Amino acid sequence: MNAMINLELKKNLQDRGLLFWTLILPIIFTVLFIAVFTSGVGETESRQVILSIVPGYTIMFVFFIMISMTESFIKDRNIGMVARIASTPLSPYLYLLGKWIPYMYIVLTQVMILLLFGKLVYDISLEQPVHLLILSVLLTFMVTGIGLALAVIVKTNNMGIALTQVLALGGALLGGLWMPTDMMPDILQTISALLPQYWAHQAFQDAMTGALQVTKLIQTSLILSGFGLAGFIAALLRYPKFLRRAKG
Amino acid sequence: MLTVNNINKHYGDNLALANVSLHVPSGICYGFVGPNGAGKSTLIKMIASIIHDYDGNIQFSHNRLRIGYVPQVISLEETVTARDNLNFFGKLYGLRSNTLKIRVNEVLSEIGLTESGKNKVQTFSGGMKRRLNIGCAIMHKPNLIIMDEPTVGIDPQSRHYIFQMIEQLKNDGCTIVYASHYMEEIEQLCDEAAFIDHGQIVENGTIENILQKHAVPSIYVKGRRCLPDEIEHDCSVTSKNGGHLITTSDPLSAMEKVISFCKHNDGGIERLELVKPRLEDVFFSLTGSRLRD
Repeated sequence: MNAMINLELKKNLQDRGLLFWTLILPIIFTVLFIAVFTSGVGETESRQVILSIVPGYTIMFVFFIMISMTESFIKDRNIGMVARIASTPLSPYLYLLGKWIPYMYIVLTQVMILLLFGKLVYDISLEQPVHLLILSVLLTFMVTGIGLALAVIVKTNNMGIALTQVLALGGALLGGLWMPTDMMPDILQTISALLPQYWAHQAFQDAMTGALQVTKLIQTSLILSGFGLAGFIAALLRYPKFLRRAKG
Repeated sequence: MLTVNNINKHYGDNLALANVSLHVPSGICYGFVGPNGAGKSTLIKMIASIIHDYDGNIQFSHNRLRIGYVPQVISLEETVTARDNLNFFGKLYGLRSNTLKIRVNEVLSEIGLTESGKNKVQTFSGGMKRRLNIGCAIMHKPNLIIMDEPTVGIDPQSRHYIFQMIEQLKNDGCTIVYASHYMEEIEQLCDEAAFIDHGQIVENGTIENILQKHAVPSIYVKGRRCLPDEIEHDCSVTSKNGGHLITTSDPLSAMEKVISFCKHNDGGIERLELVKPRLEDVFFSLTGSRLRD
């Protein structure tokens, strides 16, 4: 399985498209939107905007890893790599894990870099680093778990891109990553509370200001783990069909 | 080396393979021949342990069996180097550290890519990719190599190189199962073959026996006033490239008749030759379809 992890990591680290989606674009968005929303407002309001945008855009952009995950699985399926690997001693489930783990490394690194960018450029506070680390790991698990499900379910790259946009942008809009949820109508606030983005965003903001209580951390952790686990289970259930299709 | 017993495989309502049985002795190159969609790749994938859900069984007689599988499509990671690909498959087959490093260098040399080992696969020509495709399958020195149309879409030089590699593998004692719809490849490389059509084996055995059993001898004659009436009446004569292809059970006698007729009738022979029986014609006579149909 280590061979699979190493190859997948090497492949992704050389992918400039992935660098753009995971780091360059979120940084551009963060800088632009902070510039727009903080112009002409006071210091206190500015700090609040920055406190919302930095974790908000981090959470939104980690979802785009699903595009790379989907592309990678579909490519392996189409070029016969899955069938070829099935003829080697590597078990199909270790193949699945070997493909999944590198994306966890990538997303966790992405979250760390984007938060550090916020710290260095906007001097955001990271009052509860351990809580932030736990949240980052669980956010990573959640996103890559759902990404894994998407990767083995969709049939084409376009389907993968389309569904990723729906999950990332739709979730960002409804989950309060773009604007505070209390500005939304009641019905949307109710929907918002059903989305992992909302819980992650709230918890990240609290942990950054040092206000995240253990009970809220546990609650958010359970929600993020639950979504990740649901994605993972969906992927496992769908995986045999993916394998059959890949083996021809 | 391997025995296939009464294999049946369905894809939905479609029967992909029906009652397929065959035996591949050790140390030979065994060909699977048939048109696209005949069931060759399905059978190959069963032997390579990629497809498991089928009726019947496949038995291997080798104690320490190591299978290498060369897929029909180029299954390589193209965004990394040839060396990375070989390293990857070597590790999957259990090679580690120095053994792996040495083997990567050996295989790069065997497939003629030593100079290009550090280049990304996406910069390679089709022939180079095909060679690397084979290289990845021989990293663990397999004793059974299964090749599914390994020369599709490549230039004659690369095909020749691959043929030499296969000959070398045979000389090293490997058993090779080679699927192709190019008859000339099967005739050149294989000791035995199975003709597969519509999921069934229509004939199998040594190439020589198949030709002896089914090929009808013929001669080709081209010239002026060189076709005796008795040949036209007694044999099957078809026009080909401005001459005549004469199918007969006694080709030498037919040639004598043609020569004698020309001598006595002021005829002129431009070309007169025995036509070597071809597997493609045997396949056609057995199935009624050409391989590239």
